[in-house]
Amino acid sequence: MKSVPAKVEHEGRWVPTKVGIGEDRFRIDAPLKEEIPYKTVVNLEEKKNQIIVTAGADGTATYRIASVEKVLSVLKKFIITQASAYRLNAFFMSPAVRGGVLIHDARWEKGTIAVMKTGIWFVSQEKQVCIPLEDVAGIELTSREIQEKDLNVVKIDHLSENDVVTSFVLCPMTTLQVLYNFLKEATHDTEVSEEIDPLTGQVAMLVYSGMDSSSIENMLKLSHRDLDAIYEKLLDMRLAEVLYVRKEVQLTAKGVRYISESVKSQNE
Amino acid sequence: MGRILIVDDTMFMRTLLKNILFSGGHDIVGEAADGVEALARYQELKPDLVTMDIVMPKVNGIEALKAIKAADPSAKIIMCTAVGQEQMVKLAVKSGAKGYIVKPFQAPKVLEEVKNVLSA
Repeated sequence: MKSVPAKVEHEGRWVPTKVGIGEDRFRIDAPLKEEIPYKTVVNLEEKKNQIIVTAGADGTATYRIASVEKVLSVLKKFIITQASAYRLNAFFMSPAVRGGVLIHDARWEKGTIAVMKTGIWFVSQEKQVCIPLEDVAGIELTSREIQEKDLNVVKIDHLSENDVVTSFVLCPMTTLQVLYNFLKEATHDTEVSEEIDPLTGQVAMLVYSGMDSSSIENMLKLSHRDLDAIYEKLLDMRLAEVLYVRKEVQLTAKGVRYISESVKSQNE
Repeated sequence: MGRILIVDDTMFMRTLLKNILFSGGHDIVGEAADGVEALARYQELKPDLVTMDIVMPKVNGIEALKAIKAADPSAKIIMCTAVGQEQMVKLAVKSGAKGYIVKPFQAPKVLEEVKNVLSA
Protein backbone atom coordinates (compact mmCIF):
# COMPACT_ATOMS: atom_id res chain seq x y z
CA MET A 1 0.00 0.00 0.00
CA LYS A 2 1.50 3.31 -1.08
CA SER A 3 1.53 6.03 1.60
CA VAL A 4 1.15 9.69 0.76
CA PRO A 5 1.04 12.83 2.91
CA ALA A 6 -2.40 14.29 3.57
CA LYS A 7 -4.42 16.11 6.20
CA VAL A 8 -7.51 14.72 7.89
CA GLU A 9 -10.12 16.43 9.98
CA HIS A 10 -9.91 15.15 13.54
CA GLU A 11 -11.91 16.57 16.45
CA GLY A 12 -12.72 19.73 14.50
CA ARG A 13 -9.24 20.56 13.23
CA TRP A 14 -7.00 19.55 10.33
CA VAL A 15 -4.20 17.17 11.33
CA PRO A 16 -1.24 16.16 9.11
CA THR A 17 -1.06 12.42 8.59
CA LYS A 18 -0.41 9.80 5.93
CA VAL A 19 -2.96 8.06 3.78
CA GLY A 20 -2.20 4.62 2.37
CA ILE A 21 -3.89 3.83 -0.93
CA GLY A 22 -4.29 0.12 -1.72
CA GLU A 23 -6.07 -1.90 -4.37
CA ASP A 24 -9.17 -2.65 -2.29
CA ARG A 25 -8.90 -0.28 0.71
CA PHE A 26 -7.30 2.86 1.99
CA ARG A 27 -5.74 3.57 5.35
CA ILE A 28 -5.57 6.75 7.41
CA ASP A 29 -2.64 6.77 9.87
CA ALA A 30 -2.62 8.29 13.37
CA PRO A 31 -4.51 9.93 14.90
CA LEU A 32 -7.41 8.13 13.13
CA LYS A 33 -5.70 4.76 12.58
CA GLU A 34 -8.50 3.47 10.34
CA GLU A 35 -8.60 1.09 7.41
CA ILE A 36 -11.54 1.60 5.08
CA PRO A 37 -12.38 -0.98 2.39
CA TYR A 38 -13.61 0.85 -0.72
CA LYS A 39 -16.67 -1.39 -0.90
CA THR A 40 -17.90 0.01 2.44
CA VAL A 41 -17.92 3.59 1.08
CA VAL A 42 -21.48 4.81 0.52
CA ASN A 43 -20.83 8.41 -0.44
CA LEU A 44 -18.12 10.62 -1.84
CA GLU A 45 -18.27 14.39 -1.98
CA GLU A 46 -15.73 16.83 -3.28
CA LYS A 47 -14.79 20.32 -2.19
CA LYS A 48 -11.80 22.36 -3.19
CA ASN A 49 -8.69 20.25 -2.40
CA GLN A 50 -10.62 17.93 -0.11
CA ILE A 51 -12.90 14.94 -0.31
CA ILE A 52 -15.51 13.76 2.17
CA VAL A 53 -15.83 9.99 2.34
CA THR A 54 -18.78 8.39 4.11
CA ALA A 55 -18.41 4.70 4.92
CA GLY A 56 -19.94 1.89 6.95
CA ALA A 57 -23.22 0.03 6.75
CA ASP A 58 -25.08 2.80 8.58
CA GLY A 59 -23.11 5.49 6.72
CA THR A 60 -22.10 7.28 9.90
CA ALA A 61 -18.31 7.25 9.59
CA THR A 62 -17.23 10.37 7.73
CA TYR A 63 -13.65 11.17 6.80
CA ARG A 64 -12.52 14.54 5.48
CA ILE A 65 -9.24 14.25 3.64
CA ALA A 66 -7.25 17.11 2.12
CA SER A 67 -4.29 16.59 -0.16
CA VAL A 68 -2.86 17.57 -3.52
CA GLU A 69 -5.03 16.97 -6.59
CA LYS A 70 -2.93 14.04 -7.83
CA VAL A 71 -3.37 12.07 -4.58
CA LEU A 72 -7.10 12.83 -4.33
CA SER A 73 -7.57 11.87 -7.96
CA VAL A 74 -6.10 8.38 -7.40
CA LEU A 75 -8.11 7.88 -4.22
CA LYS A 76 -11.33 9.08 -5.87
CA LYS A 77 -10.85 6.70 -8.79
CA PHE A 78 -10.50 3.67 -6.48
CA ILE A 79 -13.52 4.75 -4.43
CA ILE A 80 -15.79 5.49 -7.38
CA THR A 81 -15.01 2.21 -9.13
CA GLN A 82 -15.46 0.04 -6.01
CA ALA A 83 -17.82 1.87 -3.63
CA SER A 84 -21.24 0.60 -2.68
CA ALA A 85 -23.15 2.56 -5.34
CA TYR A 86 -25.26 2.08 -8.46
CA ARG A 87 -22.56 1.87 -11.11
CA LEU A 88 -22.64 1.51 -14.87
CA ASN A 89 -20.26 1.62 -17.78
CA ALA A 90 -21.22 4.37 -20.15
CA PHE A 91 -20.06 7.08 -22.45
CA PHE A 92 -20.42 10.61 -21.18
CA MET A 93 -19.88 14.11 -22.46
CA SER A 94 -19.41 16.68 -19.73
CA PRO A 95 -19.65 19.58 -20.20
CA ALA A 96 -21.31 19.60 -23.63
CA VAL A 97 -22.92 23.03 -23.30
CA ARG A 98 -21.89 25.76 -20.87
CA GLY A 99 -24.10 28.83 -20.39
CA GLY A 100 -25.91 28.04 -23.64
CA VAL A 101 -22.71 27.87 -25.69
CA LEU A 102 -21.67 24.56 -27.21
CA ILE A 103 -18.24 23.41 -26.14
CA HIS A 104 -16.37 23.06 -29.42
CA ASP A 105 -13.96 20.32 -28.34
CA ALA A 106 -16.49 18.32 -26.27
CA ARG A 107 -16.24 14.61 -26.98
CA TRP A 108 -17.68 11.34 -25.75
CA GLU A 109 -15.56 9.65 -23.10
CA LYS A 110 -15.74 5.99 -22.16
CA GLY A 111 -15.88 5.46 -18.43
CA THR A 112 -17.82 4.56 -15.33
CA ILE A 113 -20.75 6.36 -13.78
CA ALA A 114 -21.39 5.92 -10.09
CA VAL A 115 -24.58 7.23 -8.56
CA MET A 116 -23.96 8.03 -4.92
CA LYS A 117 -26.13 9.47 -2.17
CA THR A 118 -25.40 13.12 -2.90
CA GLY A 119 -24.07 13.11 -6.43
CA ILE A 120 -23.28 11.41 -9.71
CA TRP A 121 -19.65 10.73 -10.58
CA PHE A 122 -18.27 10.29 -14.08
CA VAL A 123 -14.81 8.73 -14.24
CA SER A 124 -12.72 8.11 -17.32
CA GLN A 125 -8.99 7.74 -17.91
CA GLU A 126 -8.62 11.51 -18.05
CA LYS A 127 -11.56 12.95 -16.16
CA GLN A 128 -13.40 12.83 -12.85
CA VAL A 129 -16.56 14.88 -12.88
CA CYS A 130 -19.01 15.14 -9.98
CA ILE A 131 -22.52 16.51 -10.34
CA PRO A 132 -24.02 17.07 -6.88
CA LEU A 133 -27.72 16.11 -6.96
CA GLU A 134 -28.61 19.46 -5.37
CA ASP A 135 -27.12 21.20 -8.43
CA VAL A 136 -29.18 19.24 -10.97
CA ALA A 137 -31.56 21.61 -12.77
CA GLY A 138 -33.09 19.20 -15.26
CA ILE A 139 -33.14 15.60 -16.45
CA GLU A 140 -34.36 14.50 -19.85
CA LEU A 141 -34.37 11.23 -21.72
CA THR A 142 -33.83 12.37 -25.28
CA SER A 143 -32.09 11.39 -28.49
CA ARG A 144 -28.94 12.77 -30.01
CA GLU A 145 -27.26 12.21 -33.34
CA ILE A 146 -24.04 10.29 -32.75
CA GLN A 147 -22.04 9.00 -35.73
CA GLU A 148 -25.06 9.64 -37.95
CA LYS A 149 -27.39 7.55 -35.78
CA ASP A 150 -30.10 8.85 -33.47
CA LEU A 151 -29.28 7.33 -30.09
CA ASN A 152 -31.02 7.67 -26.74
CA VAL A 153 -29.15 9.69 -24.14
CA VAL A 154 -29.84 11.15 -20.72
CA LYS A 155 -29.37 14.92 -20.73
CA ILE A 156 -28.49 16.47 -17.37
CA ASP A 157 -28.61 20.23 -16.85
CA HIS A 158 -26.73 21.29 -13.76
CA LEU A 159 -25.04 24.23 -12.10
CA SER A 160 -21.26 24.37 -12.13
CA GLU A 161 -19.21 27.36 -10.94
CA ASN A 162 -22.23 29.67 -11.42
CA ASP A 163 -22.75 28.46 -15.00
CA VAL A 164 -25.58 26.30 -16.25
CA VAL A 165 -23.97 23.27 -17.85
CA THR A 166 -25.40 20.41 -19.91
CA SER A 167 -23.90 16.91 -19.79
CA PHE A 168 -24.94 13.78 -21.69
CA VAL A 169 -24.81 10.08 -20.77
CA LEU A 170 -24.97 7.36 -23.40
CA CYS A 171 -25.44 3.66 -22.62
CA PRO A 172 -27.88 0.82 -23.47
CA MET A 173 -31.54 1.87 -23.21
CA THR A 174 -32.40 -0.38 -20.23
CA THR A 175 -29.55 1.06 -18.15
CA LEU A 176 -30.34 4.55 -19.34
CA GLN A 177 -33.94 4.15 -18.17
CA VAL A 178 -32.76 3.04 -14.71
CA LEU A 179 -30.41 6.02 -14.48
CA TYR A 180 -33.11 8.40 -15.68
CA ASN A 181 -35.66 7.07 -13.17
CA PHE A 182 -33.16 7.30 -10.34
CA LEU A 183 -32.21 10.88 -11.17
CA LYS A 184 -35.86 11.87 -11.62
CA GLU A 185 -36.64 10.54 -8.17
CA ALA A 186 -33.54 12.00 -6.53
CA THR A 187 -34.23 15.47 -7.94
CA HIS A 188 -37.99 15.39 -7.45
CA ASP A 189 -37.81 18.42 -5.10
CA THR A 190 -36.64 20.75 -7.85
CA GLU A 191 -39.43 19.89 -10.31
CA VAL A 192 -41.66 22.85 -11.19
CA SER A 193 -45.32 21.98 -10.80
CA GLU A 194 -46.82 25.48 -10.48
CA GLU A 195 -48.27 27.52 -13.36
CA ILE A 196 -46.04 30.49 -14.17
CA ASP A 197 -47.55 33.50 -15.94
CA PRO A 198 -45.73 34.76 -19.08
CA LEU A 199 -44.38 37.95 -17.49
CA THR A 200 -42.94 36.09 -14.50
CA GLY A 201 -41.46 33.59 -16.95
CA GLN A 202 -39.82 36.41 -18.92
CA VAL A 203 -38.34 37.87 -15.72
CA ALA A 204 -36.99 34.44 -14.78
CA MET A 205 -35.42 34.11 -18.24
CA LEU A 206 -33.74 37.51 -17.90
CA VAL A 207 -32.40 36.65 -14.43
CA TYR A 208 -31.05 33.39 -15.89
CA SER A 209 -29.32 35.38 -18.64
CA GLY A 210 -27.57 37.51 -16.05
CA MET A 211 -29.60 40.74 -16.30
CA ASP A 212 -29.70 42.93 -13.20
CA SER A 213 -32.87 44.52 -11.82
CA SER A 214 -32.53 47.86 -13.55
CA SER A 215 -31.92 46.18 -16.95
CA ILE A 216 -35.01 44.01 -16.41
CA GLU A 217 -37.10 47.06 -15.47
CA ASN A 218 -35.94 48.85 -18.63
CA MET A 219 -36.42 45.86 -20.93
CA LEU A 220 -39.91 44.95 -19.75
CA LYS A 221 -40.97 48.53 -18.89
CA LEU A 222 -41.68 47.55 -15.30
CA SER A 223 -41.67 49.76 -12.22
CA HIS A 224 -39.43 48.88 -9.29
CA ARG A 225 -42.52 47.80 -7.32
CA ASP A 226 -43.87 45.60 -10.13
CA LEU A 227 -40.53 43.87 -10.44
CA ASP A 228 -40.35 43.39 -6.67
CA ALA A 229 -43.78 41.72 -6.76
CA ILE A 230 -42.60 39.34 -9.49
CA TYR A 231 -39.43 38.58 -7.53
CA GLU A 232 -41.64 37.73 -4.53
CA LYS A 233 -43.51 35.21 -6.71
CA LEU A 234 -40.25 33.62 -7.82
CA LEU A 235 -39.06 33.48 -4.21
CA ASP A 236 -42.35 31.96 -3.01
CA MET A 237 -42.08 29.24 -5.66
CA ARG A 238 -38.42 28.66 -4.65
CA LEU A 239 -37.37 29.42 -8.22
CA ALA A 240 -35.01 32.14 -7.03
CA GLU A 241 -33.11 33.24 -3.98
CA VAL A 242 -32.15 36.70 -2.73
CA LEU A 243 -28.64 37.64 -3.80
CA TYR A 244 -28.66 41.00 -2.06
CA VAL A 245 -31.17 43.72 -1.23
CA ARG A 246 -30.74 46.93 -3.17
CA LYS A 247 -31.42 50.16 -1.24
CA GLU A 248 -33.21 53.27 -2.49
CA VAL A 249 -32.31 56.32 -0.42
CA GLN A 250 -33.12 60.02 -0.17
CA LEU A 251 -30.91 62.69 1.33
CA THR A 252 -31.33 63.95 4.87
CA ALA A 253 -31.01 67.66 5.74
CA LYS A 254 -27.31 67.03 6.34
CA GLY A 255 -26.98 65.42 2.92
CA VAL A 256 -28.79 68.30 1.23
CA ARG A 257 -26.52 70.77 3.04
CA TYR A 258 -23.43 68.88 1.84
CA ILE A 259 -24.64 68.97 -1.77
CA SER A 260 -25.59 72.67 -1.57
CA GLU A 261 -22.21 73.56 -0.11
CA SER A 262 -20.23 71.50 -2.56
CA VAL A 263 -22.05 73.11 -5.49
CA LYS A 264 -21.46 76.55 -3.93
CA SER A 265 -17.72 75.89 -3.55
CA GLN A 266 -17.52 74.76 -7.19
CA ASN A 267 -19.11 78.04 -8.28
CA GLU A 268 -16.73 80.19 -6.22
CA MET B 1 -15.79 45.01 -30.51
CA GLY B 2 -18.05 44.33 -33.42
CA ARG B 3 -21.00 45.63 -35.42
CA ILE B 4 -23.71 43.04 -34.97
CA LEU B 5 -27.00 42.20 -36.68
CA ILE B 6 -29.50 40.32 -34.51
CA VAL B 7 -31.98 38.01 -36.23
CA ASP B 8 -34.79 36.51 -34.15
CA ASP B 9 -38.56 36.40 -34.62
CA THR B 10 -39.33 37.30 -30.99
CA MET B 11 -38.81 40.84 -29.83
CA PHE B 12 -38.06 39.57 -26.31
CA MET B 13 -35.07 37.55 -27.51
CA ARG B 14 -33.83 40.38 -29.73
CA THR B 15 -33.99 42.79 -26.80
CA LEU B 16 -32.24 40.32 -24.52
CA LEU B 17 -29.42 39.71 -26.99
CA LYS B 18 -29.19 43.45 -27.68
CA ASN B 19 -28.70 44.13 -23.96
CA ILE B 20 -26.13 41.38 -23.56
CA LEU B 21 -24.12 42.40 -26.64
CA PHE B 22 -24.36 46.11 -25.82
CA SER B 23 -23.07 45.41 -22.29
CA GLY B 24 -20.08 43.72 -23.92
CA GLY B 25 -19.27 46.90 -25.86
CA HIS B 26 -20.64 45.81 -29.23
CA ASP B 27 -22.69 47.99 -31.60
CA ILE B 28 -26.05 46.61 -32.61
CA VAL B 29 -26.33 47.88 -36.17
CA GLY B 30 -29.68 46.26 -36.95
CA GLU B 31 -32.35 43.71 -36.22
CA ALA B 32 -34.41 41.35 -38.37
CA ALA B 33 -37.40 39.19 -37.52
CA ASP B 34 -37.19 36.59 -40.30
CA GLY B 35 -34.82 35.10 -42.86
CA VAL B 36 -35.89 37.34 -45.74
CA GLU B 37 -35.35 40.47 -43.69
CA ALA B 38 -32.03 39.05 -42.42
CA LEU B 39 -30.56 38.79 -45.92
CA ALA B 40 -31.75 42.28 -46.86
CA ARG B 41 -30.41 43.82 -43.65
CA TYR B 42 -27.10 41.95 -44.05
CA GLN B 43 -26.55 43.29 -47.56
CA GLU B 44 -27.50 46.78 -46.47
CA LEU B 45 -25.48 46.92 -43.21
CA LYS B 46 -22.53 44.55 -43.84
CA PRO B 47 -22.17 43.71 -40.12
CA ASP B 48 -19.10 42.03 -38.61
CA LEU B 49 -21.29 39.29 -37.14
CA VAL B 50 -24.85 38.00 -37.25
CA THR B 51 -26.69 36.15 -34.45
CA MET B 52 -29.28 34.03 -36.23
CA ASP B 53 -32.28 32.26 -34.71
CA ILE B 54 -33.10 28.96 -36.48
CA VAL B 55 -36.86 28.63 -36.16
CA MET B 56 -38.41 31.68 -37.84
CA PRO B 57 -41.34 32.37 -40.16
CA LYS B 58 -41.01 32.78 -43.96
CA VAL B 59 -37.37 31.71 -44.38
CA ASN B 60 -35.78 29.85 -41.46
CA GLY B 61 -32.34 30.52 -40.00
CA ILE B 62 -30.56 27.72 -41.86
CA GLU B 63 -31.85 28.94 -45.23
CA ALA B 64 -30.99 32.54 -44.32
CA LEU B 65 -27.49 31.40 -43.28
CA LYS B 66 -27.01 29.70 -46.65
CA ALA B 67 -28.26 32.77 -48.53
CA ILE B 68 -25.96 35.14 -46.62
CA LYS B 69 -22.97 32.81 -47.06
CA ALA B 70 -23.73 32.60 -50.80
CA ALA B 71 -23.72 36.39 -51.02
CA ASP B 72 -20.69 36.82 -48.73
CA PRO B 73 -18.62 33.68 -48.00
CA SER B 74 -16.68 35.54 -45.29
CA ALA B 75 -19.84 36.30 -43.26
CA LYS B 76 -19.54 35.39 -39.58
CA ILE B 77 -22.77 33.90 -38.26
CA ILE B 78 -23.58 32.46 -34.84
CA MET B 79 -26.69 30.28 -34.78
CA CYS B 80 -29.04 30.59 -31.88
CA THR B 81 -31.80 28.17 -31.04
CA ALA B 82 -33.80 26.50 -28.31
CA VAL B 83 -32.88 23.49 -26.21
CA GLY B 84 -33.73 20.25 -27.99
CA GLN B 85 -32.76 21.49 -31.45
CA GLU B 86 -29.06 20.76 -31.01
CA GLN B 87 -29.36 18.32 -33.91
CA MET B 88 -29.37 21.37 -36.14
CA VAL B 89 -25.74 22.01 -35.21
CA LYS B 90 -24.30 19.74 -37.87
CA LEU B 91 -26.49 21.21 -40.56
CA ALA B 92 -25.65 24.76 -39.49
CA VAL B 93 -21.93 24.07 -39.25
CA LYS B 94 -22.02 22.35 -42.65
CA SER B 95 -23.73 25.44 -44.01
CA GLY B 96 -20.99 27.70 -42.67
CA ALA B 97 -22.04 28.81 -39.16
CA LYS B 98 -19.06 29.85 -37.04
CA GLY B 99 -20.66 29.34 -33.64
CA TYR B 100 -23.76 28.06 -31.93
CA ILE B 101 -25.64 29.17 -28.82
CA VAL B 102 -28.52 27.34 -27.19
CA LYS B 103 -31.40 29.17 -25.50
CA PRO B 104 -31.60 29.78 -22.61
CA PHE B 105 -28.13 31.28 -22.52
CA GLN B 106 -26.03 33.19 -20.02
CA ALA B 107 -24.59 36.60 -20.88
CA PRO B 108 -20.88 35.98 -20.15
CA LYS B 109 -20.85 32.82 -22.28
CA VAL B 110 -22.56 34.54 -25.19
CA LEU B 111 -20.02 37.37 -25.07
CA GLU B 112 -17.18 34.84 -24.96
CA GLU B 113 -18.53 33.04 -28.04
CA VAL B 114 -19.03 36.34 -29.91
CA LYS B 115 -15.46 37.37 -29.03
CA ASN B 116 -14.10 34.03 -30.26
CA VAL B 117 -15.95 34.23 -33.55
CA LEU B 118 -15.04 37.87 -34.15
CA SER B 119 -11.36 37.22 -33.52
CA ALA B 120 -11.22 34.02 -35.60
